Amino acid sequence: MNVFSKLKQSNYQIAIVSVFLAIILASWKPHVLIEGIQRACLYAVIALPMALILGIVGIINLAHGEYMMLGAYFAYFLNVYTGMDPLLAVFPALLAFFLIGIVSYKAIIKYVLDAPELNQLLLTFGLAMVIEQLANLVWTSRPIKLPLKYVSSSATIGSFTFGTYEFIYVGGAMIVLIGLQLFLKRTNTGQAALAVGQNPRGAKLVGIHVDRTYLFIFSLSIALVGAIGAVFMTRHSIFPLVGAPFTMKSFCLIAMAGIGNLMGILWCSLILGLAENFVLSFRGYAGWADILFFALIVLVIMVRSHQRQVK
Amino acid sequence: MRISRYFLYIAILIILLTLPFYTGVYFLNVMDIILIYIALALSWDMLLRSGQISFGVAGLFGVGGYAAVLLNLNTGMNPLISIVMGGLAAGILAWLVGMAVLQLRGMYFAIVTLALAEIFRVIIRNLPDLTGGPEGTVLPSAIFAGNSTKTYWLAIAVAVVSVIASELFRRTRIHFALTSIRNDEIVAKSSGIDVFKYLVFIFVITSAIQGMTGGAYAHIYGFVSPEGSFSVDFTLLPIAMALLGGMHSTWGPVVGAVVLGVVSEFLKLQIPYGHLLVYGLIIVITILFFPQGILGTVGQRLKNRQRLRGSP
Repeated sequence: MNVFSKLKQSNYQIAIVSVFLAIILASWKPHVLIEGIQRACLYAVIALPMALILGIVGIINLAHGEYMMLGAYFAYFLNVYTGMDPLLAVFPALLAFFLIGIVSYKAIIKYVLDAPELNQLLLTFGLAMVIEQLANLVWTSRPIKLPLKYVSSSATIGSFTFGTYEFIYVGGAMIVLIGLQLFLKRTNTGQAALAVGQNPRGAKLVGIHVDRTYLFIFSLSIALVGAIGAVFMTRHSIFPLVGAPFTMKSFCLIAMAGIGNLMGILWCSLILGLAENFVLSFRGYAGWADILFFALIVLVIMVRSHQRQVK
Repeated sequence: MRISRYFLYIAILIILLTLPFYTGVYFLNVMDIILIYIALALSWDMLLRSGQISFGVAGLFGVGGYAAVLLNLNTGMNPLISIVMGGLAAGILAWLVGMAVLQLRGMYFAIVTLALAEIFRVIIRNLPDLTGGPEGTVLPSAIFAGNSTKTYWLAIAVAVVSVIASELFRRTRIHFALTSIRNDEIVAKSSGIDVFKYLVFIFVITSAIQGMTGGAYAHIYGFVSPEGSFSVDFTLLPIAMALLGGMHSTWGPVVGAVVLGVVSEFLKLQIPYGHLLVYGLIIVITILFFPQGILGTVGQRLKNRQRLRGSP
């Protein structure tokens, strides 16, 4: 295949256009590019566990951001009582939230697996409210932030200075994405999970323990998002409502990428992150950045439904 | 049978209308809140009957409130007409959103409506010249100069409009169309129902009711603010009420609203900062243990008992 025929494929055209746009952006507003990538990876790493639950267990977890908020508080109190660094708290958070995931699944989620989608949505919405309001009641709505020195580290290229600590999100997103891909493609459990996601009845017929797979995938996702909460709290101040916007943005990314497309989530979060930071960079219009994801999701739904009608 | 039932409705209405003559102001205020929530819970349930779930009640409620207050303030429109216009504004917004989003249904629609309250809050906060920005807008005086009897009648009017709309939808062809869409969309489509048209229609109607309720609420209290008008209360409470009372009926949400409305007055005093927790718990427990709600469960029990007695 020569270069020209490759150029005709739409994937390559998109790649070339996006590289071109990135170069223009880097020369015009380098802050937008760097911070946009960092923000995008934060969105991606939060959306990935949600996509895993939606793709395999088939439940849309509206309490997703709330579990992240719990993870952040977990790391905070671990730091207050034992002095453990929040970044190290990722590992106890993984363990603790795996257990929380098991409990949530056994106590609540299991009972609506066969229920209509309406009941699932209402249930996880109620769960989100319970977690949020419980946090509000116990820890009050006062924002909390740890004074950590290393989060404000920065690097300078020429006259341009940017924060380097946030690249931890880029690393985190890569680890989670590659780890999940390897898990799903290379391990027996992962293969079984994929099979269950495609067809639970067929998977049951060939001897896969469907309920146990659901339990494991749900708990794994909750563990991941709890650990992300621990990383999140090193840089951002946390309060009980901090997770709610991430639930909606995560769903927006999943809807854009298509359910079951983990790699696509990364690209879509790049679009969202760059677009948000682009709007934020204009003084006086920064407040409008929060509605971008809504515009994107409406646009995506319109394009999707159009595609479906054309088919 | 039927005539006696109408007499019952009329008797209840007369008792409700004459309440101000032998009760106090505090009781009327509690009744205002309950009636407002009856309208919200019913309108939420009306959309649910089509199988679509909306988490955007607070958004449309707030839009209606803002539209009513701003129209009254800037153009000097009669407050009562401005309340209707608030409903109209919410309806038009719902039509725009519905045309775009109802093509894909289920969770896509649910999540987009979940974002609605947040989006409208951001938009209104970013237009300080028109809406007063984060501080909100205060009316020079509440509707009817704060006369609690008249505001109570206004709240009754709002609740009655929603009850009538709900009953109309239950007794006409629309009911069959929506029920068949909920049960199986493909069957509905193949029996000649324009699914998309019906869904947009019901979404617009319920949103207009929510907007009108928001307008009435804003006029009763005389102010709107981004945090107050789009508060999560107005999404969470109607859902909890409709679920607790019983989905897919007119009287289920009404019963739920009355029960929870009384309970919420008590809860606000007991746990002022976390009373929403209880509503979240009610939603979870209702879905897990008795998804048919109070009326549904009681009705089922009665039916079972009758069947036991009837069989020799």
